[in-house]
Amino acid sequence: MSPLAERLVADLRARPRHFAELVEAHDAVAWRDFLRAWGEVRGLPALGRDDDGRYVYSEGASAACSSG
Amino acid sequence: MKQTFRDVLAVLEQAGELRHIKKAVDPRHLSALAAQAKEATFFETIEGYPGWRVAGALVSTRKRLALAMGCQEADVARRFEEGIRRPIDARLVTTGACQEIVQQGDDVDLTSIPIPLMHLKDGGPYISATMVVSKDPEYGRNVGSYRLMYRTPRETGIDLVSPSDMRRYYQRALDAGRPLEIAVAVGVHPYEMLAASYKAPIDVDEYAIAGGLHGTPVELVRCKTVDLEVPADAELVLEGELLPIGWTADEGPFGEFSHITGDVKWNPIFRVTCVTHRRDPIFYMLQMPWENDWLAAPVIEAAGLQALRIASVEPVAIRAPIGGCCYWTLVASIKKRPGEGKNALLALLSVAEVKLAIVTDDDIDIYNPDELDWAMTFRVQADHDVLIIPGARGKHIDPSVRAWSLGKGGLPTTAKLGIDATIPEGVPKEQYERIRYFAKDAVRLEDYL
Repeated sequence: MSPLAERLVADLRARPRHFAELVEAHDAVAWRDFLRAWGEVRGLPALGRDDDGRYVYSEGASAACSSG
Repeated sequence: MKQTFRDVLAVLEQAGELRHIKKAVDPRHLSALAAQAKEATFFETIEGYPGWRVAGALVSTRKRLALAMGCQEADVARRFEEGIRRPIDARLVTTGACQEIVQQGDDVDLTSIPIPLMHLKDGGPYISATMVVSKDPEYGRNVGSYRLMYRTPRETGIDLVSPSDMRRYYQRALDAGRPLEIAVAVGVHPYEMLAASYKAPIDVDEYAIAGGLHGTPVELVRCKTVDLEVPADAELVLEGELLPIGWTADEGPFGEFSHITGDVKWNPIFRVTCVTHRRDPIFYMLQMPWENDWLAAPVIEAAGLQALRIASVEPVAIRAPIGGCCYWTLVASIKKRPGEGKNALLALLSVAEVKLAIVTDDDIDIYNPDELDWAMTFRVQADHDVLIIPGARGKHIDPSVRAWSLGKGGLPTTAKLGIDATIPEGVPKEQYERIRYFAKDAVRLEDYL
């Protein structure tokens, strides 16, 4: 995993975040690099969503609320 | 010759309705900047995306929609009706500008496209200006419009929740355990977008509807990796397949056409097998909610005109106001005979999800809100002229239907409201004689300045 993807995962481990919050937290990163790293995070089975649309990172996420 | 997306930019330019932004803009800021401009926006330099330009908010007012359709603002519905009445079959050609550059196989990379982040709570960057083509072995070709949320360099989410022909095609493919091939054209003329958003009967080719609107065939090229055809003059095309996973992947929220932030939905995944585009591509960023709403206006207004005619009521003008998202509200003026104010309301309230209908006589300019208020004040008695129809079909994204309380799969209902603001039966027209100024035609203000 790229260092940026690792930082995004760390952000999500700390607390659930909207996508825009992740973007704001890394606004110095070129957009294309951000999207590549986000693509890595999206592939992780531990990524899920809460009811307000925030991304949640939890190793114990159930299939019902994790991304497909 | 058929008009293209670039021709619309030229028309807007000529009318002083296109603002050029020459400074480099980050894709994260495109939508917020477009929202601050009174004109449509054309971003000439995109940070990190050499060679790409971005256009947005092209038809986010009725004026600009009318310019794109080459008609007066009040005539967009009739112009649309003319087009759907005389479909012209599409024509297959061997080459197209949309395939000047091709990414296939391992080269496919959606991060090479300046996909913008649009709204504060969006689940990701979105491709909002899509014309999506699919095919079913039995029903044939279908064209619709579905938003795409970036997921990975080769995958997007797609909102396929609402009933549609493509949803049916996908369900049939899913039942057979196979993926559904689709192709997504971005940067096409608004006629193609209108045809895609028009709920044509399943056996009607939306490309032929677009041809009818253009008055000339839409030229199509075959896709590189799927058995589908796309407009040859599109700016960008994504080819691929909807994976046979059903409605299992998170998608959204997205800033909806109702002007409200939507919810997370469960949807299929679109896996991209090929990206093609022009050598000097322009990415079309459909600015929500305005462009989505205005592209619905001709369709819903045409449906209102048709409903009125079926009810044997003679329409004079019709308007789907932006306050009702060009979708939930219809206002019409009619040449009224006794009882037809109510008949007109029943007809208009039968159109799709319309939940508020207002009918006036033909002396009221329904484009003038002051005149409309005046008619509703002096021609309406609430105990006689207001219809309320409870328990009609509603739409989830209207918070007032309380869809969240229905549980998964619950379908909401709504009450519909009709206001008959025509002169009531039994009230002489003379009662409404407007004041006129003495000597109005005898003197001119400029002679006294």
